[in-house]
Amino acid sequence: MAEPIVRFTGVRKAFGDKVVLEGLDIELPRGQTSVILGPSGTGKSVFLKLLVGLLEPDEGQIEVDGVRVDGATERELFALRKKIGMLFQDGALFDSMSVGDNIAFPLRRHSDLDDDAIDAAVALRLEQVGLPGIEDQMPASLSGGMRKRVSLARAIVMEPDIVLFDEPNSGLDPVTSDEIDALIGRMKEELGISFIVISHDIVGAFAVADRIAMLYNGALVAYGTSDEVLRSQHPFVRRFLARNMDLPDLESP
Amino acid sequence: MTGLPEVFLRRVGGYGIFFAACVRSTFQHGVRWDRVLEESQKLGVRAFPVLATMAVFVGTNLAIQGHAAFSALGAESLVGMFVALGGVREVCPLLAATMVAAKAGTEMTAQLAVMRTKEQIDALEVMAVDPRAELVTPSLLAIMLVLPALTIISIALALVAATGVAVFQLGLQRGDFVDYMMSNITVFDLAAATLKSVFFGAIIATVSGYFGFYSERGPRGVGQATNQAVVVMCIVCISVNFALTSILYG
Repeated sequence: MAEPIVRFTGVRKAFGDKVVLEGLDIELPRGQTSVILGPSGTGKSVFLKLLVGLLEPDEGQIEVDGVRVDGATERELFALRKKIGMLFQDGALFDSMSVGDNIAFPLRRHSDLDDDAIDAAVALRLEQVGLPGIEDQMPASLSGGMRKRVSLARAIVMEPDIVLFDEPNSGLDPVTSDEIDALIGRMKEELGISFIVISHDIVGAFAVADRIAMLYNGALVAYGTSDEVLRSQHPFVRRFLARNMDLPDLESP
Repeated sequence: MTGLPEVFLRRVGGYGIFFAACVRSTFQHGVRWDRVLEESQKLGVRAFPVLATMAVFVGTNLAIQGHAAFSALGAESLVGMFVALGGVREVCPLLAATMVAAKAGTEMTAQLAVMRTKEQIDALEVMAVDPRAELVTPSLLAIMLVLPALTIISIALALVAATGVAVFQLGLQRGDFVDYMMSNITVFDLAAATLKSVFFGAIIATVSGYFGFYSERGPRGVGQATNQAVVVMCIVCISVNFALTSILYG
């Protein structure tokens, strides 16, 4: 496996009595697309929030691009986050700003680029996500798929080392989902950076993944290439995949 | 310990931590003065018409109530003093604070709560932008700057309106009324009203910011946060007003 860009070691996270992650050990490779797959409520979003330091683990260590996230100071976290872009489930675009201002926002905060250079960067990113010329539109006027594309444009505008995708297909129709999957694949080829995708969509996961990790009840039950996960004999993996992949369901509830 | 006392202590502790984090982020990340100016303009323009209307009618009613109370005692000259003491020291600072809490405070809470629901606050953090410095501090400074100005304006309007009613409706001598009123307003009174409004501004901005920032996700969370913020702002402002009046005039 390529050199890891993310390493979770013995990570535990609970909210009150509810244990979300229990002793999670995983390494995600640099420069590849890793998909964290699993049913709703199994700790996928918590995994992502731990990764960017929005949550602190109760136990264990988290390392991202060589930086310890757990126990990091705000300054260290902010330095790390400048190398991370994230596409949120619903886009998380700022409603009061135009599309152009949304994409330009990180550049205005963290770069010395002048307005012309920022405008050019925004136009380039919109072109890359297939939405050229919509800088002046407001987020409220965009469809779900367009919001995700604009959010992706904002996530990559700072030329990050890692892009995180939180359920990129949620709330989208199958055709738009396929388009987003294709866009993720194309972006991966063009940018050559590390993508980490959180999803419960099996078809989308297998379409974009170099490696797939499957979470269930806060634990890792399968991890490997698509083929390796498809061959897994873990009862939950069989049951989860059987629903969409025409595999034999070994242990139906 | 469970139930209400625990919730209360958690809220107070949470508010204290939030307030400290806002102050720290102001020093750490600097002040976005462009946003402060923008928020100040919005606040002033939006709050002024309603506040002016209310201040005028507070002045008229203070004059009428003062007249009703003192004319029975044959001490009509004290009406001006009553208007001055009640209006300048107590009613106008609280009135301006209530208006700003209702207009700017609730808007800030609702806006932050919606941003929390839509993960926009998380997005700011992931983009290495401190959401307190970006969203709360500009409003905090804007309210602390604008509220004293609105308070002084509301005092002036209340006094003018009281004079109008005293002279044209109640038939009092303009010279006597104005003399008694102005001789009971000192620079200290105006400074005290300004000081109160600075405290009220800080309370309104941080309480509304706190409830919005930590609201539960979803429409119910937005509604609850806004409702709780208004109640807490009013209670805390009234309590602080009592403490300040006790310290300054007690």
